[in-house]
Amino acid sequence: MISNKLSNRIIFILSLVGLAVASFLFYEYNIAGTIICPTGQGCDIVRASQYSRFLGISIPFLGIVFYLTMAILSVIHTHDLPRRVVRKLQVLVAVSGVSFGIYLTFLEAFVIGAFCFWCVLSFIISIMILLAIVFAGKHKT
Amino acid sequence: MTTETKILGVTLILTVGLLLGGVFFLSRGGSSQSITGTTVSQIDYAKGQKIGSDSAKVKLVEFSDLQCPACVAAEPAIKRVRAVYPDQVQFIYRHFPLPQHNYGREAAAFAEAAGEQGKFWEMHDKLFETQEEWSALGDNDATAFFLGLTKQLGLNENKIKQAVTEDNLKARIDADIAEGQRLGVNSTPTFFINGRKVDLQGGFDNLSTAVAEELKK
Repeated sequence: MISNKLSNRIIFILSLVGLAVASFLFYEYNIAGTIICPTGQGCDIVRASQYSRFLGISIPFLGIVFYLTMAILSVIHTHDLPRRVVRKLQVLVAVSGVSFGIYLTFLEAFVIGAFCFWCVLSFIISIMILLAIVFAGKHKT
Repeated sequence: MTTETKILGVTLILTVGLLLGGVFFLSRGGSSQSITGTTVSQIDYAKGQKIGSDSAKVKLVEFSDLQCPACVAAEPAIKRVRAVYPDQVQFIYRHFPLPQHNYGREAAAFAEAAGEQGKFWEMHDKLFETQEEWSALGDNDATAFFLGLTKQLGLNENKIKQAVTEDNLKARIDADIAEGQRLGVNSTPTFFINGRKVDLQGGFDNLSTAVAEELKK
């Protein structure tokens, strides 16, 4: 159980870390060379697959949008705006992000057959963001 | 506006600025010079040992000598390309045994003979794995060694012995060498991506980069 303030700070910091990871991947997806990948060639295999884009949009770009939205929401959350509305939005965005992450990780495991380290790291960060929201929510009620 | 709002807001703006700057800086730093040459050579894609579909967008041709140590060194990079782009790349192996390698041609013949029994790639891998061992052997010993490898692969020994002496098998290797010479190949391994020679000065990792560049076209 954590306070709403602490939860919001955690979400903010995690969003910035996620933003860095997504930006790095966005850069790597747009250059021709091999991706710096601690787990071997998984990142290259995932990038080369047809699932590296969703509705024509590059997945790392969606990641940037997701983390940027989460970060902006946590900045707004500190303001005197109706916090419940902001918190609801945070829950909505985080749940969407994690759900999409589950879908992508499922693709990596069962369809592509290779894991991209940075994608999995981003998935873990999104789960941590959701947990930070959930734990604060419980405290509130 | 609370102090925390200001702090988080400024931190966010700075982070975004830093990331944008970083991506911009890295993109500018990256060389846009192409790794493949500009001349497109006409290669006979009907010839050679192939992995991958004929309709693959990229045809990666290697002129290689089974006795050349650099060709062994290139193997991980080739395997990487094959693993990353299984559908987009067709890999074609062509023989180019160099005159200074006394068993290069014989090894090529054994690989082709194994290929007639459907095990070219298995033999190719085994020859590369054991290259140091057989390169140091005497004439008769090398032939016995190659036969030993085919046995390990469960191939019919008599058929192998007969195949390596057949004219059409020799002609296939000669045709590969002739085509390599026509294309200006003077060292092994030499790679062509859709007919354009790959510059390997930056190392064998250039292969995946060149393939990725070609796929973007």
